[in-house]
Amino acid sequence: MQQLLNTALGGLTLGMVYAAFALALVLIWRSTRVVNFAQAPMAMVTTFVALVIVDAGHSYWLAFAAALASGLVLGAVIERVVVRPVEGGPEINAVILTLGLFIVLHALAAVIFGNRYRSFPAPFGVRGIEVGGTTIALTGFGIFTILAVLVTMGLLLLLFQRTDIGLRMRASAFNPEVARLLGVRVGRMLTLGWALASVVGSLAGLLIAGGSLVHPGYMDSVVVYGFVAAVLGGLDSPFGAVVGGLLLGLALSFVSGYVGSQLVALAALVILMLVLVLRPGGLFAQTAARRV
Amino acid sequence: MRRRLHRPTTLVAAATAGVLLLGACGAGGRDDDGGGGDGGDGGGGATAPGVTEDSIKIGAHFPLTGVAAPGYNEIPTGAKAYFDYVNAQGGVHGRQIEYVVRDDGYNPTNTSSVTNELVLEEEIFAMVGGLGTPTHSAVVDFLNDEGVPDFFVSSGSLQWGDDPEAYPYTFGWQPDYEIEGKIIGQYVAENMPDAKVGLFLQDDDFGDDAEKGVRQFLDDQVVAAERYTSGNTDVGPQIAGLQAAGADLVLSFNTPSYTALSQLVALRLGYEPQWFYTNVGSDADLVGSLLSRFSEGAVEGGSSSLDGVMTTEYIPGVDQPDDPWVQLWQKVWDEHGEKGKLTNYRVYGMSHAYAFVQALQAAGEDLTRDGIVEAMEEVGADLEGPQLAPFRYSSDSHLGISGMRVVEIQDGAGEDLTPVLITDIGDAEIVEDDSGQDGDAPPENGVPEAP
Repeated sequence: MQQLLNTALGGLTLGMVYAAFALALVLIWRSTRVVNFAQAPMAMVTTFVALVIVDAGHSYWLAFAAALASGLVLGAVIERVVVRPVEGGPEINAVILTLGLFIVLHALAAVIFGNRYRSFPAPFGVRGIEVGGTTIALTGFGIFTILAVLVTMGLLLLLFQRTDIGLRMRASAFNPEVARLLGVRVGRMLTLGWALASVVGSLAGLLIAGGSLVHPGYMDSVVVYGFVAAVLGGLDSPFGAVVGGLLLGLALSFVSGYVGSQLVALAALVILMLVLVLRPGGLFAQTAARRV
Repeated sequence: MRRRLHRPTTLVAAATAGVLLLGACGAGGRDDDGGGGDGGDGGGGATAPGVTEDSIKIGAHFPLTGVAAPGYNEIPTGAKAYFDYVNAQGGVHGRQIEYVVRDDGYNPTNTSSVTNELVLEEEIFAMVGGLGTPTHSAVVDFLNDEGVPDFFVSSGSLQWGDDPEAYPYTFGWQPDYEIEGKIIGQYVAENMPDAKVGLFLQDDDFGDDAEKGVRQFLDDQVVAAERYTSGNTDVGPQIAGLQAAGADLVLSFNTPSYTALSQLVALRLGYEPQWFYTNVGSDADLVGSLLSRFSEGAVEGGSSSLDGVMTTEYIPGVDQPDDPWVQLWQKVWDEHGEKGKLTNYRVYGMSHAYAFVQALQAAGEDLTRDGIVEAMEEVGADLEGPQLAPFRYSSDSHLGISGMRVVEIQDGAGEDLTPVLITDIGDAEIVEDDSGQDGDAPPENGVPEAP
């Protein structure tokens, strides 16, 4: 019973990180119709920025804020400088470009920050919480992770559904030509979309790093799982991304605990295939599948 | 409760290939030590590739980057320092040793390509100390087909030495995982007969060989065996499984990063068994540095983080600064090392470099690839060195060091729980070592003579 609970709690915390990551992918998808594979190394870079600040003796929260801020800047800069020239062309060009970015950022980080495994601090301790004499596998940081992702999802939903700027972002993603005719600054909306997505990605990076070990490749499996989570929930739906992330985190945790950890990656791919075959739009896609 | 599928290696490989594809692309940077121009056969009496009148070129593959890199990337720096030390004393039979290290990132695909480079382009005489079970498995056939001496693989898998007919050019070095499992198993059976034993195993030859050894003595006491896949850093479900089975003694056969991860997860779960780590994963300094940052004093930083943990040792380490071997290594490191201090991984590198210099001495002036292999089969079992127990080299076995002692870590140093115990694979008995290897000292100049 305790094992069941602890496996579930582990999956829940991990699932929330996948959810945050899926949220970042969904954001970029919604605003530019591009799946950003460079999301993982972008988050890795900002996490290392945080680590440098912590190493310099500053507080965790300063580092946390700096990482999110550098994520904002990094996302905007990459959209403006690297992605903008290929926008308007076939979408596959941009996707391939993000794969290239993946490799470049990886190599740069290895050069700048080194390739060692390093421990990353957590602000709330790494011991499980005691409930009635037994310890359950939920740390203070785990609770923070869950809350942070839920709040982020709520904010994004508000942004997209209730604000003018969210509407403009959706419009420029859905039909840039018409949006432009209606006076939307489409270019700015795209930059904003990338910047916001990069912030959310950075948050995912910080959450998975907290209380664990980081190195330049530590986010690589997360990009795969995050992508599966996003597809599972429907690439268009922030709510779906969170539910997808949770389901995936739980599923993978149970596969690891009760079947065998060697099957985790396989299980993720099986889930991805099942979703694509049975419900290509994802569990929570709001619009019917778009035909291109 | 937990059912293990029967070694679905190919399936998993296929599945993870896609996942790892992305990861494999990144993290570049190859270490181009050496790589000087004068490869190939030179004149003189020697005709072996990589050997000239005044030089020998050897190669190695190590994970200098990635998940397995911490610690392991220090091994070649230690070996290089010792080879430089020997070179400064005139080399071996007048030949300077040129040591070329390539980064394989602990990825077997990379190991294949860097080994091709080393053998075909760099034309190395021998591979020395190539690290890792999955990685070296990818190249052991190639090396033996090409007739390249493949000495002192940095891994305790049985396959490097239990069947010399299959791999005549390959020699193991460190004690294999099976005898470590046996020695730990017997110790626990004799001294902790009431313990409920949980096994935490890396899901490959490492864990399988060790489990075989442990179960020879402890089959009745084992209540759970959990396996983790190297590369998947979430070991929460596995540790939760051990906890649920009620294991109060966990025998862990894992790499150092996973020692840190398992300790972290145990904190999260409030799980406090007695831990018994393989010597592979128990470097107190390294694990301490990985754990040092975790807040609120929940984890003791530094070398005391593994206090009370049991492990084994088969060569003296930096926690024994008075040992004459460690004093030699310290001197070598001070004179020829890079930045940073002497660590147990560097000591490991120097120790196998020492054995390789012995092998070169034994092979004589007319160095050939077959000659050095024959020499090792003849005199290998008598080689003296830092190892606490003798090698098992003969024409029937290419397995390395034959034993170790059980220790408990206190303040980062091992306190002996047993004398040096030796054994062999299979049913071989475990006996106390009387070779006198434990307690010997290196020769005055620190360079071994021909035996």
